[in-house]
Amino acid sequence: MTNVTAKPARRPAGRRAGGTQPSGWWAVAFVAPATAGLIALYVWPFLSTLVKSFQDVPAFGPATFVGAGNYANLLGDAEVWKAFGNSALYTVIVLLGIPLAVALAALIEQAGRGRTIYRVLFFLPVVTLPVAIGMVWRFIYNGDFGLLNYVLSWFGVDGQYWVADPRFTIYAFGVVGIWMGLGINLIILGAGLQAIPKAVYEASALDGAGRIRQFFRITVPLLSPSIFFVTILTVIAALQMFDLIFIMLRSVNNTALADSKTIVYLFYEKAFVQFEQGYGAAIAIVLLIVIMIATALQFRLQKSWVFYG
Amino acid sequence: MKHTWTAALALTVAATLLTACGGTGGGSNEKVTLTYANWSEDQTPAMEQIAAEFEKQNPNVTVRIQTLPWTEYWSTLQVGVAGGTAPDAFWMLADHFREYAKGGALVDLSDTVKSAGIDMSVYPKAVSDSYTYEGKIFALPKDFDTNGIWYNKALFDAAGVPYPDDTWGWKDAQEAAKKLTDPDKGVWGIAAPIDPQGGYYNTILQAGGTILNADGTAADFAGPQAVAGLKFWTDLQAAGSSPTLKQLSDTEAVAMFESQKVAMYFSGAYWALRFSKNPDLKGKVDVAPLPQGVKRATVTSGIGNAGYAGSEHPEELKKFLAFLGGAEAAEIQAATGTVLPAYKGTQEPWLKSMPEFDLQVFIDAIDYSVPLPVAGDTAEWQGLAAQYLAPAWEGAKPVETAAKEYQDAVNQVLAKQ
Amino acid sequence: MAEPAVRRAQRRRTPTSTWPIHLVLGVAAVVMVVPFVWQLLTVFKTTSEVSRVPPTIWPNEFSAHAFETFFSTVPFWSMFAVSVGALVLRVAGQVAVAALAGYAFARMSFPGRDALFGLFIAMLMVPSQLFLIGQYQLIRDLGMLDTLPALAIPGLFSAFGTFLMRQAFLNLPKDFEEAARLDGANPFQIFWYVMLPMVKPMLAALTVLTGLYSWNDLLWPLIVSPSGENRPLPVGLAGLQGQFGTDYPTLMAGALVCSIPLVIVFLVLQRQFFRGIANSGLKG
Repeated sequence: MTNVTAKPARRPAGRRAGGTQPSGWWAVAFVAPATAGLIALYVWPFLSTLVKSFQDVPAFGPATFVGAGNYANLLGDAEVWKAFGNSALYTVIVLLGIPLAVALAALIEQAGRGRTIYRVLFFLPVVTLPVAIGMVWRFIYNGDFGLLNYVLSWFGVDGQYWVADPRFTIYAFGVVGIWMGLGINLIILGAGLQAIPKAVYEASALDGAGRIRQFFRITVPLLSPSIFFVTILTVIAALQMFDLIFIMLRSVNNTALADSKTIVYLFYEKAFVQFEQGYGAAIAIVLLIVIMIATALQFRLQKSWVFYG
Repeated sequence: MKHTWTAALALTVAATLLTACGGTGGGSNEKVTLTYANWSEDQTPAMEQIAAEFEKQNPNVTVRIQTLPWTEYWSTLQVGVAGGTAPDAFWMLADHFREYAKGGALVDLSDTVKSAGIDMSVYPKAVSDSYTYEGKIFALPKDFDTNGIWYNKALFDAAGVPYPDDTWGWKDAQEAAKKLTDPDKGVWGIAAPIDPQGGYYNTILQAGGTILNADGTAADFAGPQAVAGLKFWTDLQAAGSSPTLKQLSDTEAVAMFESQKVAMYFSGAYWALRFSKNPDLKGKVDVAPLPQGVKRATVTSGIGNAGYAGSEHPEELKKFLAFLGGAEAAEIQAATGTVLPAYKGTQEPWLKSMPEFDLQVFIDAIDYSVPLPVAGDTAEWQGLAAQYLAPAWEGAKPVETAAKEYQDAVNQVLAKQ
Repeated sequence: MAEPAVRRAQRRRTPTSTWPIHLVLGVAAVVMVVPFVWQLLTVFKTTSEVSRVPPTIWPNEFSAHAFETFFSTVPFWSMFAVSVGALVLRVAGQVAVAALAGYAFARMSFPGRDALFGLFIAMLMVPSQLFLIGQYQLIRDLGMLDTLPALAIPGLFSAFGTFLMRQAFLNLPKDFEEAARLDGANPFQIFWYVMLPMVKPMLAALTVLTGLYSWNDLLWPLIVSPSGENRPLPVGLAGLQGQFGTDYPTLMAGALVCSIPLVIVFLVLQRQFFRGIANSGLKG
């Protein structure tokens, strides 16, 4: 098994495999639709956002160039820092779902019969509309008559206003984020597990290694490329979290919203609600930079823990 | 088989792209379609009826009603205006109006008003004034609302508290709220959210405050009257007479009222239709005037019908907007019980459409009504309120401090203009 | 496959040793489905029953009012048709566009290839909200607002698909290609008859993932269909929440009805879903 992220090692071979013959106009014809679309619908909008980030763009009427003014304001804007902090916290919480997914994936692989049933059950949130998920969880989190507080009361735990109290909102989102993402992570990790040669386990079983020991000594290292891939995807998705807050906090007059905004939500609000497209664009550009740094960092760090067999 | 399938896909895509390139053509001159956007499913039937009436009188025009979710209404409209594709006609609110008018997004109706002979005095001055910018009229009032006390008679009866009436002062309201509250039953006397229009604007005005200075360059939330007006609400919170702010964040005040967990809800006339249609509330709800502070006051505002300056059919649009501002459209709204129409003399059918409520309260309130305060980017500074005032509502900060901080934030927004 | 051997080895030692595994997984599975069960139970309650403290588990009496309210408010079938139409267009287009480009990036050489591919990768990293305004302006200039294709178009060209397809093609051996070339096939014929059939697993993966994205999309359809025509289910559902803020039975009914089509498709095609997702993480 080779992971996507192992690509750099593989690329020279791949390039040589098909790339030696000059393909001329055929190649142009093959890439033209994708490239035209990419430029018109992604590159150009991206550049226009980049330009806007250096402008004051009023709701209506012409924009004026303000240099790095938006970025300077952004540095001194407590709201922006708060939003970055919330996004970072959310990302960390959702990352906790990955060890959980690894453990569950390993258990599912060993469960024998009924594996498919578990996979199906864990996958259900993935095929449910995020809008619907937001509604259901908002109801579960209700401080007065929500299911969560009711269940907690069985154990004598005092309930909280999970999505109305800014102390808890991000954690509440994080739990839903883990719940939503578990199904996909399980499938990707499960495929990684199945690619681990059985001989490795047989050998260690003969040596008398127990299941727990096998898990840490064999499963985790051999699975690390898949874990890395899942981590990358999770971080990028978590930094862009938007739907949950949009559905769970915005629809009602929720006073927790001000302290619970994520960075993408803040961007959306600035650009599409508050008539400050220039400032919104600057926030988006900074987010982009953060995502790039986070991803680059992970690629750096992977060398120390990802094992390519 | 699978090759044909893939080929079909490729064809579909090609066809899609071709249509894309050919789709720009305009319609013929004769048939004109106008779009008319709103945010209320409740009112859509009435809007459709009005559109049908206009189409009958103008056979060459078709009106398409668009109903957008409230949460998406302003963002969609903004993108539409910025992108040149806003609906032709749309509902406007006073707190968003100035940004649109200033940006040149709205059709100037001043000449239409003159040529169509529209008498602006048929509208409540507070509402029509809020849609005037630099002396030009950019929207005609559709409806208006003042505030009153919606109350649940059953809960008042159960607690043995007399119903609110026009003799009530602040003290009466607060004492009644306290008596009505019964934590064991999960019932509170009143809902005290951070609500400008139904809530603290009214009490600030009743205390003699002004909210904004005369030329809209500075806010007054920290003056003694304003603080008194805010304290009306924070006192209710402190006394436990209202669900907490967190509870009201989880479940909106109006929903609390509808599920009969709060006995009083200060709000506008626009709920009448919804309460009247709710079977759980049958025979249990009525409305009374807001209590008096130092004086009587309520803010008033109303929806305006505005037109998009970039419309492809400006003549038909102006005609349609004039129709929307006319007596016929008002009568349809009134007869269907939809809202309190802004057009003078058309309110009677609305009163009669829901005889179970003392709706005259809202009309009487016009006499002491004050326009909703607007200045600068009103939606922006009003949006900051929850964040700054929440600590006062929760008792975490003195009202004076929170009010001062909010006032500073508002002034900062106003200074941007 | 690793686990049969493991299982065999374990079974020899302790025949019933999978029950602790089932216990742990069972508990986890219950936690996973509880929200759905709660949703199902809520749907049949009355509005006043759901706000009772403490909550009732089983509905006092089964009421269908939530479904009635939902279907009388939301034009479900037309929104469903829009959702399906947008999904078909987007999946079909994305697969075609991405397969062609992915193939060229993986198997052909042309000047500027790596730089161009770098551009695709760069766009992958950009948060999608950043494109909204520009994409909206393009759709508007094409006169396509409120049309069904407008919902699908940006998705057709997502760099993600091209990236996945390149991965799949990179991994194929070169022998087939060369044999076909010697037989005189042109590059398109090689692509179509020889290479494309070999990456079917990745095509399935792309279909599944693009389908999911399309079905779930909320923000773009809101912006690109201002008139309210051609609105897909998530938009209808969000609107329902705007209107019935805390009428939870109706919201839950809407959430259930709008989610169920894809859940059914998933239950029928679950093997393809799983294989598709797995393939996206691994080379094809």
